[in-house]
Amino acid sequence: MARDTATNASSTEDANDKLKDKTSGKNKDEKDKKDEVEELSEEDQQLKNELEMLVERLKEPDISLHNPALESLRTLIRTSTSSMTSVPKPLKFLRPHYATMAEIYENWIDSENKNRLADILSVLAMTYDEGKRDSLKYRLQGSNENPGSWGHEYVRHLSTEIGQEYVYRTVNGDSPSTDDLMNLALDIVPFFLQHNAEADAVDLLLELEAIDKLPQFVDSDTYVRVCLYMVSCVNLLGPPDDEHFLRTAHSIYFKLEKYSEAMSLAIRLRDDDLIREDFEAAGMKDALLQKQLAFHLARQQISLPIEDEEIEAILNNNHLSKHFIALAKELDVLEPKSPEDIYKSHLENIRPGFTSGNVDSARQNLSSTFVNAFVNAGFGTDKLVTIKEGHHWMYKNKDHGRLSAAASIGMIMLWDVETALNVIADYQTSEDYHVKAGANLAIGLVNAGIRSEIDPAKALLSETIEDSKQRDIVRISAVVGLGLAYANSHREDVQALLLPLVLDKNVKLEIASLAALSLGLISVGDCNGDIGSAIVQAMMERDKGQLKDTWGRFLGLGLALLYLGKQEQAETVLETLKAIDHPLGKQVGVLVEICSYAGTGNVLKVQKMLHICNDHLDKEKEEDLHQAFAVLGVALIAVGEDVGAEMSLRTFNHLMHYGEPVIRRTVPLALGLLCASNPLLNVLETLSKHSHDNDADVAINAIFAMGLVGAGTNNARLAQMLRQLASYYHKEPNCLFMVRIAQGLLHMGKGTISINPFHSDRQLMSPAGMAGILATLIAFTDAKKLILDKYHWFLYFLVTAMYPRFLITLDENLESLPVTVRVGQAVDVVGQAGRPKTITGFQTHSTPVLLAHSERAELATEEYISLSHVLEGFVLLRKNPDFMEEDRD
Amino acid sequence: MPTAKVVVKWKKEKYELDIDTDEAALVLKYQLFSLAGVEPARQTLMCKGATLKDDTILNTLKIKDGSVLLMTGSVGELPQPPEEETRFVETMTDQELAETLKLPTGLKNLGNTCYLNATLQCLRIMPELQESLNNYNEPQINLTSSLRNLYRQLNQTTDGYAPEEFVRTLRVAFPQFAEQRNHMYMQQDADECWTVIVSNLQNPSISPPNNQQDMNIDDASASTSSGSSSVPAKRYVEQYMMGRYTVTPKKDESSGAASAVTSESFSRLSCHISNTTNYMFTGILQDLDESGRRISRLPHYLTIHFVRHRWKETTKVNAKILRKVKFTLDLDVTDFCTDELKAKLTPVKNKLIEYEKHKADVKKQLAVGKNVDEKEKAELQEKLAAEAEEVKKLIDPELAQDVGANVTGLYELGAVLTHRGRLADSGHYMAWVRQEDSDNWIKYDDDKVQAVTEEEILKLDGGGDWHIAYILLYRSRKIA
Repeated sequence: MARDTATNASSTEDANDKLKDKTSGKNKDEKDKKDEVEELSEEDQQLKNELEMLVERLKEPDISLHNPALESLRTLIRTSTSSMTSVPKPLKFLRPHYATMAEIYENWIDSENKNRLADILSVLAMTYDEGKRDSLKYRLQGSNENPGSWGHEYVRHLSTEIGQEYVYRTVNGDSPSTDDLMNLALDIVPFFLQHNAEADAVDLLLELEAIDKLPQFVDSDTYVRVCLYMVSCVNLLGPPDDEHFLRTAHSIYFKLEKYSEAMSLAIRLRDDDLIREDFEAAGMKDALLQKQLAFHLARQQISLPIEDEEIEAILNNNHLSKHFIALAKELDVLEPKSPEDIYKSHLENIRPGFTSGNVDSARQNLSSTFVNAFVNAGFGTDKLVTIKEGHHWMYKNKDHGRLSAAASIGMIMLWDVETALNVIADYQTSEDYHVKAGANLAIGLVNAGIRSEIDPAKALLSETIEDSKQRDIVRISAVVGLGLAYANSHREDVQALLLPLVLDKNVKLEIASLAALSLGLISVGDCNGDIGSAIVQAMMERDKGQLKDTWGRFLGLGLALLYLGKQEQAETVLETLKAIDHPLGKQVGVLVEICSYAGTGNVLKVQKMLHICNDHLDKEKEEDLHQAFAVLGVALIAVGEDVGAEMSLRTFNHLMHYGEPVIRRTVPLALGLLCASNPLLNVLETLSKHSHDNDADVAINAIFAMGLVGAGTNNARLAQMLRQLASYYHKEPNCLFMVRIAQGLLHMGKGTISINPFHSDRQLMSPAGMAGILATLIAFTDAKKLILDKYHWFLYFLVTAMYPRFLITLDENLESLPVTVRVGQAVDVVGQAGRPKTITGFQTHSTPVLLAHSERAELATEEYISLSHVLEGFVLLRKNPDFMEEDRD
Repeated sequence: MPTAKVVVKWKKEKYELDIDTDEAALVLKYQLFSLAGVEPARQTLMCKGATLKDDTILNTLKIKDGSVLLMTGSVGELPQPPEEETRFVETMTDQELAETLKLPTGLKNLGNTCYLNATLQCLRIMPELQESLNNYNEPQINLTSSLRNLYRQLNQTTDGYAPEEFVRTLRVAFPQFAEQRNHMYMQQDADECWTVIVSNLQNPSISPPNNQQDMNIDDASASTSSGSSSVPAKRYVEQYMMGRYTVTPKKDESSGAASAVTSESFSRLSCHISNTTNYMFTGILQDLDESGRRISRLPHYLTIHFVRHRWKETTKVNAKILRKVKFTLDLDVTDFCTDELKAKLTPVKNKLIEYEKHKADVKKQLAVGKNVDEKEKAELQEKLAAEAEEVKKLIDPELAQDVGANVTGLYELGAVLTHRGRLADSGHYMAWVRQEDSDNWIKYDDDKVQAVTEEEILKLDGGGDWHIAYILLYRSRKIA
């Protein structure tokens, strides 16, 4: 915590100032009323006299007397530095003699005694600090004895001066060698670590840019707090320190064989070698632990080539459907719900009357399709599509609506690939090309996040993609289907299928840009140069007028996703984009930049984005789309870091007041991104306000954002708000459609599925999830042409972010093992003294259990030991060998 | 012959097969056909990211022992699109929409004719009137035949209809409606128009519809006792829209002996608005009390007129009273009736109220409780029907014979004619009409037709410059 470091440093300075004030004040007092000296207690007077005598003795040339005098001074100072609240008496009384003693010191010749005097002067300099860093100077000249022996305050003072000196030397460059400082620091660090001041230890090494020296001092007693502090600092550090911190923390965990924690950091670093190393090391130590790590990797959709079938099944997420349905049974939510069960329109304040009645409204049926899909997602059953007469529902939708209706099968049977494919197969051969396209999309949806050796998505979709005789929409659906199925898989063979579509100038821009988006999803964050250059090339070579089209932005998003979280690598692309003489260049530039800083909380970048929003552009003359992306950028950069997120909420408020329409329209979306599946009351209130905005686009985006914010939470308050909105907008089909979608999102998976891309105690961001949400949000930047027109299936991009918000505990055979856990609000315990509770306001449940955003779980008994450091998702338990049965009472 | 043992997954099944890898995939498909029953043409076989074509030679896919294949495909019929295409609101023309939604047609304004349009729309809620008009076959053109034609055409078109013929006939028959100012036809009082049309319907009498066969038989059998059937069916307006008062003159008036009870007919109840009138109900009651009247016969359709216009001597204008006078969607008029009639009405009235409460409960139950299955639903409905029959049995036999009379004393609001503006012969008139057998209301603003809510109807009670109810048309509550 760089900020904390600053405050720490300043607080020590404050303390010093006070020290000085006090002493100098005393000096004045002494001058003013001499009699006060007389009033010193007898004891103090005696001490003072003794100290003065000792100083006098040092002045004498008799060297033999020096040693005992120094010894006495030392003892006197040491025995009294224990008090922190006032200036120790010996220091106070010696203060007037500091100059004298410094002079004495200069005159002495090098000797043991001179070193000892240096030590004493170093301590005295604490009270006599005039920015000259004398403490440090004398310390370095002194006897090199353990600084801790002079007390805590002295060590803290020294560490501050070290930091200052280091900066001084590096800036002025006159004395580039800092080895002496480093050696001293390395003496101090163990002292800090032993005395629960790990924050000081970390800060000191951070200032000396030598954090990598830390692991050698950390042991099994101190690692927890050290690493916790370091990991929490990361968000507040700029590159390259943030990465150094993560790597150092990782090596500490690794050294201490805490592979679960280490793996989590390795994933955060996205370092495949580290992941591999952790995984193999864990395998050497404990096979079960390795399985637990496989679950961690599976959540992040990272694959490793593994021989072991059981672990491969875990990595491929093959168990997900089974356990999710088991959870549904446990929570008694398996029974399918119809859209009407969600709308509860009998509670809405409108009569059915003429708006609904006996006629089918394509719009309303379409919204029912989506609601049905989201609500029953993953359960495998519903009341519209997978029933015996399910195909009739397809035809209750109009043209492009059938696409979404057919695709909803994929959503409903999410993760259950083999069952779903049999159902979808019937529609794949349909004569209605919309249904056919929907089947393609369904294949993509059902495979989202699941891998299998058989690779059905590629098998079934690759032909359609290559077949240019197919109708556009059928090809598009196959392209998107592949993107969803292989999101974050980095599969080269799949990339090779899509790349030609981006490069071929004869392919329609619509297909090319969606191919780019799918490529972006598949290769999210891997900075693939081939794809990157292909997309840039497409942007340069395609007709300029064409690129102005709605679809241009998806080319850009595809490119931007490649650099998700990769700041350094994005630099070159940003330079290249500057060369593109087209508004798109600027827009994509913003997209790439915000994606590369996603989740970093980088304040400078947030400021830059706000700067972009400041311009009041004339829409007629200039493209203003990049401003929309900048608004999203503020959220995207700040998300995942609490303080930054809080600040951006305020910023958005300002933008809503003073921004241009394009900005106002995007602010609700940004709010949705910032608080996905996290229905904070103040955010709900803000969105509710915007949902009645005069600008229909603002209102529609706000309503959708309400859905995002509440996604999968069943939040009753939000449900009520949405019902009111349904009444309010019952005559406006577009708004009503969006209200219905939001209701569907709110009850996603009947309240068991979250779309927040952050997981594992909100430390890790799922790149596929973030990419999916971004794709949906970008589609909403032109809602009229996309979501509200024929491309409502962009809503299905959310699938990559959907994951059950459960905690399932498994035994050693990977069978569900119910145990009691406490679930409560997570508490930030960084830097707190002692062993503070990590959750508050908890309730005790039996697993499997649902966890809301910012909730944490801990095992209620010590009967089992968790192999994962975070109780979230799949957790393997092992019997605690030390557990005693009678403890249960 | 290189063979390989492979596993083929299909649904929850797993088939272990020995296959010859030199053969084409079709052979494997036939093997699977015999096992799973899925026709080879419908099978899709997948392996390692590729689909197997019929002529794919298996070893080109490096299929070896232990390879896993996935088959999809189903037995039985492929899902077919339904015979009938779904029609969507969004793609329908306005005309189709109006037909399917049964949204009625509006009348075009022919220059200050909104008073007439509103009146006609209100009167249109009486299906019996339209039937009677259809039975009217006189050849000559008069107001009655014009009205018949108008309603016929109105029911057939879906665009706004211009009532040119009717307006012409009306202006010929009643020149006061042809008054002009600045070469424009003037705005007229809708109340006057209403009265003229209704009374005119009495003139070349139109007979009431003979829709109830059994009623006629009843009539025939009962002909000996009363004279109702010997006299050719009474006129429509008289039967359905007019009631009778019994007038008891006040005792202290005149010479005391002349206090004979008389009877007179009425076509509407008036609600005079004084400084203390807050409710329509009390306003009417006050009127009746003052004149010593009580109702002895209630018509099927009850017209209530708010006397909102008053001739102001000072300014010489027909000013409007804007006072808020609340009316209700349901009306119980037994308090307006003679004791004799009250006695006849009360038992059936109470039973009907009870029944309706019960019905509402059932409805709610069906709407909220999703666990009610079809069987239970049918049961509940049957029970309700039986109850309705019971209510019907309670109807006083004498009243039952009186075609076009109200038998329960209960009414529901059917139509509201409203006026906006400060003067009777200026401003704007609109009709607000309840759809039959529903709670849906429609606002007729000339040819603009719109669905509205009950709340909006209740807001028409005055007290501001918004539309204010001027004439209310209540219809008898149905027993069903």
